[in-house]
Amino acid sequence: MPVTKKIGRIRDCLVAACALLISMQALAADTTSSAPAAPSSAPASAKSKAVASQVEAALAAADAAQGSAPAAPATLTTTTAPGAADTRSLDEDTQTLKKDVVDLNRDLFVLEEELLFPANTQVAVYVSMDVGEFFALDSITLKIDNKEVTNYLYTPREVDALLKGGVQRLYLGNLKVGNHELVAFFSGKGPDNRDYRRGASLKFDKSIGAKYLELKIEDRQRKMQPEFEIKDWE
Amino acid sequence: MKSFRVWSLPQRCIAAATLTILCLTAFAQGPALLGQSAPDFALRSFSGTNVRLSEDRGDVVVITFWGSQCGVCRKQLDMLDRSFATYRSAGLHMYGVSVDDDAAHARQYVSAHPLAFAMLEDPAKEVARLYQIDNLPTTVLIDRGGIVRHVYRDFGPRDEALYLSQLRELLNE
Repeated sequence: MPVTKKIGRIRDCLVAACALLISMQALAADTTSSAPAAPSSAPASAKSKAVASQVEAALAAADAAQGSAPAAPATLTTTTAPGAADTRSLDEDTQTLKKDVVDLNRDLFVLEEELLFPANTQVAVYVSMDVGEFFALDSITLKIDNKEVTNYLYTPREVDALLKGGVQRLYLGNLKVGNHELVAFFSGKGPDNRDYRRGASLKFDKSIGAKYLELKIEDRQRKMQPEFEIKDWE
Repeated sequence: MKSFRVWSLPQRCIAAATLTILCLTAFAQGPALLGQSAPDFALRSFSGTNVRLSEDRGDVVVITFWGSQCGVCRKQLDMLDRSFATYRSAGLHMYGVSVDDDAAHARQYVSAHPLAFAMLEDPAKEVARLYQIDNLPTTVLIDRGGIVRHVYRDFGPRDEALYLSQLRELLNE
């Protein structure tokens, strides 16, 4: 079975778990409202058992499908206590289950990334900015081997984050082993608030193993101009 | 060839039902996004700044797709502008996405009729395609969780009251 289909099936299990989680929450609310009445709490308990066993089954299926996931989620604790006194316990269990689902989802994202972009073919391009006095970034167009792979528009908030030292992953893809060329076009406002468009290129050799490249935007105080550089992280 | 007049009553009923289903299916194409996560996009506004939808997560967002040659769109833009002035402090973001082939027409309209909310240009119509726009004006209401909650595929005199009540509901959530 293709990897993406497997991931899809795992996702389906996750969705099922979420749906059951919501029904559990609804059940918890139901238990709270019917707490003072003793006769109604008994069927609620039976319902909670049934739902909990369903959740367990869904998560077990997700675990089985996950196979080689890096970190298995914590085992699910089920609720068995009836009545109003155990509402808190049910709520805690719901929270634990919620956390498990979030953890499982995170692991799946990591797994998906590892499968879709294996280390042998992976190419990642990052963007960083230093100072930014002579250049206000608007967009970056990225071409690899003369093929446009991304065109990213930057919002003022994203530019602020870059200026504060943030590093953005602009592109993640796969490339064959061999020689390649990366061309980046930077658009924005240059000195004196003029429209500014510059390009930078780098020829690099992709060997076995992941390739990391960084687009660096820096100010050159002496020239009163921005400078664009592509750095190859070995 | 068999003409419509010689069709029996059951045949006519079946034909009418088929036609109705086809019409409903065509009409339901637009709101296919209802209940789904709103597709993210980044567009350039006419004022020059860029806008990314995902940055407004946590607030209610109204996106209206319009064209400068569409008279109904102009009426709706005025109405939306009034509602934006009223509710912006309650956490409302509003964007008008122009789907004009020639951005100069839209730019001309925007400069002649200044609006309080951001007007964005979508020359390649990528965002219009993402939101399955097949009629102008189309207005999309997105809740604080980023889910498409209401889609209006037209604008009539009675729609304003409905829009305002649904907008208030979303802002109160």
